[in-house]
Parts: sequence; structure tokens; C-alpha cells
Amino acid sequence: MGIAIGAGIAVLTGLGAGVGIGLATAKSSEAIARQPEAAGQISKNLILGCALAEATAIYGFLIAILLIFMS
Amino acid sequence: MEDIKAELVAQLQNKTAFEIPIFGGIAIPQSVAVSWGIIILLTALAIFLTRGMQLRPTGKRQMIAEWLVGFINDFCKDSLGHHWRTFAPYLGSVGLYLACANLSGLFGVTPPTKDLNVTAGLALMSVVLIYGASFRVHGLGGGLKKFAEPVAIVAPLNILEIGIRPLSLCMRLFGNIFAGFVIMELIKMVIPVVLPIPFSLYFDVFDGMIQAVVFVFLTTLFLAESIE
Repeated sequence: MGIAIGAGIAVLTGLGAGVGIGLATAKSSEAIARQPEAAGQISKNLILGCALAEATAIYGFLIAILLIFMS
Repeated sequence: MEDIKAELVAQLQNKTAFEIPIFGGIAIPQSVAVSWGIIILLTALAIFLTRGMQLRPTGKRQMIAEWLVGFINDFCKDSLGHHWRTFAPYLGSVGLYLACANLSGLFGVTPPTKDLNVTAGLALMSVVLIYGASFRVHGLGGGLKKFAEPVAIVAPLNILEIGIRPLSLCMRLFGNIFAGFVIMELIKMVIPVVLPIPFSLYFDVFDGMIQAVVFVFLTTLFLAESIE
């Protein structure tokens, strides 16, 4: 029971990653709408930022999996 | 719940593919065997695409090879400036290997990147490349001075980054592929028909490609920062 609650809390890191990636995507769409000629550079930066933001969610997920299956 | 747990744990073990019968048997893990397969595939592809090259290409094969190499070279030129030629072959090889490794799940073999040891090795290679290039370009004193940039007070953080960068590179790649694998297993347990198809498309094809690109991209970015 305790382990399951702990895993649930660990997976809550996904919240931050979701909000972060959503904000980044919104801003990048805005930027592309303003300057369509810079779309390549903007999407490059977007992918990079998303990868960095997503990493936190992945760490939370890994910890949850380790808690459930390795204990 | 218990049998799901047991099956997942069994799937997570790095199985031994076969043993080489010398020195009392050297165990070859599955990830290494699949990696060898990918190496053979890529080598065969390279030989096939570059056979009978001409100064004025007439065949389709040479066009494909030139497009691929040109794509990697342009990417390196954009991010690394005039040092691009030294690093383009390594970055291109890692990108091609990762793309094949992440896609190999589609063909029913275990992706090598699901093994933490493979991603850890790749991350270590990246970090050696990054700091090695820094010392190579700036010399010993200049390379050490890079740790005290932009101001001397951030030097401890820069030294910490030697450990953090490979850890995050390795965990990002491993975690994504592993997460996709676990979620796919869970979906297959709940509804084994039709539903896994779109999810497999996302986790195996889209996510795998993105992660291969991100790994190479981050390595290039750190490299550009260290040799500037």
C-alpha cells in the first residue's frame, strides 16, 4: 500500500513536464505565426526544450517503476 | 497483479542471446547481439549505396547516399562552425545507430536501448568526446579555464556537469524506450487487439526517432559549447 502511494507521488512529476511542454509549444506556435520564415530554427529549439522538460517526467516514471517492481 | 509484476520483471532482465565457447564461455547479451545485427545492416547498406560511385551521379543509389551524408554534414556545419569535419562522422554514426536501434522494436527484437548498459556506454562516449574536444581545441590550460566560465564562481557547477551530463543523457534515452516498452506491455495485457497499433506507432516509431534526434542534438549542443 505504502509503495503504491509512493509510486503515485513519484509519477506526479509528469504534471510539471506537461505544463512546461504545453507552454513551450504554445509560445512556439505563436512565434511561428509571427515569423513563418524562422520556423526551422524555432522547431529545433522546441524539440530540444521539450526533451529537457520531458526528462523530469521520465525520472519520476523510472522511480515509480523501480518502487513497484524492484522492491 | 502478481503475475503482471512477475512477467514485467522477467521482461526487464537482459537475456543472454548465446555464448562464445572460448575461455570457458563468454556470455553475449541480447542487446550486444542486436547491435551486431544493426552494425552489419548499416555496413551492408553503406557498401551497397556507395558501390560504383561516379563524379556525375547517374544512379539513384548514389543520390540517396549523398543526400544522407549531406544532411548530417549540414547539421554539423550549422551547429559546430568550422570544426564540423572532425565530428560529423561520429555524430552521424551515433544518430544512424540509435535510429535503427529504436526502430528495431518494430521487427520483434528487443531494442538494444532498453538495456541501461548500452545507453550508459553511449553517454560515456559522448562525454569523453565533449571534454576531449574541449582540451584538444583550447589546450590543457584553456580547457581547464573553460570550467571557470562565464564567472569563476560557477566552477563547482561546471565540474558537477561532467557527471550530470552523461547521467541525464543516459537516463533520458533509457527511460523513454523503457517507458514505451512498459506501457506497450500493459496495453497488450488489457486489450490485445487493434488498440496496440496506434500506440506502437507512437512509442516505437515517433518517440524512438525523436529520442535518437535528441541524443545527437544534445551531444552536438554540448560539443559546440565546449569548443567555441
